[in-house]
Amino acid sequence: MLGSESGSERTHRSWLFTLVVVASVASVLWMAAAGTASAQTDPRDILDRIDRLLRGDSSRGVATMQVVTEHWERQMTMEMWSLGTDYTLVRLRSPAKDAGTATLMAGDDIWNYLPKVDRSIKIPSSMMGGAWMGSHFTNDDLVQESQMRDVYDVEVTFEGERDGDQVWELRLTPKPEAAVVWGYIEFLVGQTDYVPRWAKYYDEDGALARTMEYSEVSEFGGRLVPAVMNMQPADKPGERTTIRYEELEFDIDVDQSFFSLRTLQSGR
Amino acid sequence: MTWSRIGWRNLGRNRKRTVLTALGLAVAFFAVVFIVGWSQGLMVEMVESATSLVNGQIEIHDAEYRPDRSMYDTIGGREGTDIDALFRVIDADPAVTAAAPRVYAGGLVSSGSATSAGMFMGIDPVRELTLSRFLDPLVRGRMPAPGRNELLVGEEMARQLSVALGDEVVVVASGADGSMANDLFTLVGIFRTGLVELDTTFAVMPLGDLQALVVLAPERIHEIAVATTDPWIADATAERLGAALPPTERAVEVVGWPTLNPAMVEYVALGDSMYFIIIIVVFSIAIFGVANTMVMATYERRREFAVMLALGATPGSVRAVVLYEAMALGVISLAIGATITLPLMVWFHNAPPDMSWAVADVTLMGALLSPSLRVEYDPQFWLVAALALFATALLASLLPAWRAARVPPADTLSAL
Repeated sequence: MLGSESGSERTHRSWLFTLVVVASVASVLWMAAAGTASAQTDPRDILDRIDRLLRGDSSRGVATMQVVTEHWERQMTMEMWSLGTDYTLVRLRSPAKDAGTATLMAGDDIWNYLPKVDRSIKIPSSMMGGAWMGSHFTNDDLVQESQMRDVYDVEVTFEGERDGDQVWELRLTPKPEAAVVWGYIEFLVGQTDYVPRWAKYYDEDGALARTMEYSEVSEFGGRLVPAVMNMQPADKPGERTTIRYEELEFDIDVDQSFFSLRTLQSGR
Repeated sequence: MTWSRIGWRNLGRNRKRTVLTALGLAVAFFAVVFIVGWSQGLMVEMVESATSLVNGQIEIHDAEYRPDRSMYDTIGGREGTDIDALFRVIDADPAVTAAAPRVYAGGLVSSGSATSAGMFMGIDPVRELTLSRFLDPLVRGRMPAPGRNELLVGEEMARQLSVALGDEVVVVASGADGSMANDLFTLVGIFRTGLVELDTTFAVMPLGDLQALVVLAPERIHEIAVATTDPWIADATAERLGAALPPTERAVEVVGWPTLNPAMVEYVALGDSMYFIIIIVVFSIAIFGVANTMVMATYERRREFAVMLALGATPGSVRAVVLYEAMALGVISLAIGATITLPLMVWFHNAPPDMSWAVADVTLMGALLSPSLRVEYDPQFWLVAALALFATALLASLLPAWRAARVPPADTLSAL
């Protein structure tokens, strides 16, 4: 996390960075792989497919993250590696002040490496709801690693044309035992390309908490991926976090040993 | 005043009984004065503790600061303000005994593999020591020196992080510019407030060091805590200060602890209303003892009253005799009661017995209470208790007095 603004402010933006980094990447992967599954309408299969395709898959990418808040605006460039849903390493390249700062996610744990003090610190579980790198994502978003069909019950609430686009609208409701802060999530997915259009996160009172928009579907490593993801908190209209992929490659040569504290601290 | 003299003398008829009855009233007087004194002592300690341990009696913030406590809401606005000008006004107020600036930021404190969520508090080491008590004395170590990245943590956080004096800890916070503020600090001291949430989460460092860490300009602070000569003038002083402070770009709020901690005000008010219930209960018990004595005493003297009436005394004078007797009993009781109560009150006020061997410290509504039996003086309440004592004696004598006046002289005397 690195940074909770005076504690409680950011706690309710929880869950999926994996849906950011992963779902979009994944949905694309899967889109490529699932190009033949034309009229696949069982929503659980859709989610399943994302998960299956993600598992064991690896990626490396470079992205810029722009964070706009009421008080400041900053842009970071980061390089990221992933292996399956369990391992992710993110390292900032810029701005200079924070360059080298890195985050390692392994299973449920998150470590942050701070080059200025040359130390890695593990994020305590009480801070998992805090903001990640000052963005509108939380630490919890980064470590979401369960299969979506294990966490959510899913139903298709709309199927057909919307704005000239053949889409499914899915509604993901957390299973009773799932440790998820959302009341439910609405997910709009294209029928032809299987690319998500947007996801809306609602809190337990059914009020919209944040919206994630996916856009600029582009080809990376032979796959179609939404290059831009834009996260907007509902309670702060002027604020957003936008991630844009500059590079993205798949099935890279990386194994579990790469995602270690040693790599985290090595500066590359 | 023959009747009053007769009433007074009647008390001497059975001195043992008179003394026992007077003792009953005296002990009742002592009980209410002492219980209420102790309860007020507890209230005073609670308020003093809550307003001097860490918090001040008055806090000055940006008007938007509470309750979110956003780090951007600094006093005077986003650009800060002339802090020295504020302090010149505050320090000049006759009721103000101390004032200290503070900066707050949330973050993490880490050592080795252990990390704790932390609330960083930037202080002016000199001013802070004149205001709050929690840093003096420290459990261990010394105050941090400005500009050297030194900090203090609470006892419980030190335990959870397994850090000792001289250890380096990593401090992480979100900077006001969105950066991930982080730096190494040296632990130079450990404090203990006795309030678990503070001892677990608070880390204290010089104000300038925290401002540098989280990228806040030196003129941006979140709070000025103010102490006054008496907690009960906090609201009035806050109002005066609010009017006297130089105008700033954004509104400033000056609030006393009664506004910041309304629950405590209600608690004190609840205590006040309990005192009268205590008076009523204690003297209600005493009234039956006195009534019993007076009934006995007047019954024994039925023939006397009969003689008085036969000799031409009016029933009113007979009633007066009994009531004078009750008044005299009240005077004696009060004398005994005061003789017992005053020395004990002085003792328990100035040198309260320390009960810490039997009871641990108690925390209540953000205040730390030490288990002592210190009593507060409240002369006004003593007067009320004394009046209650006389009222009890008189009330208890109404029935006997009425009956004494209705003694039938002929019948009573003929039974001789």
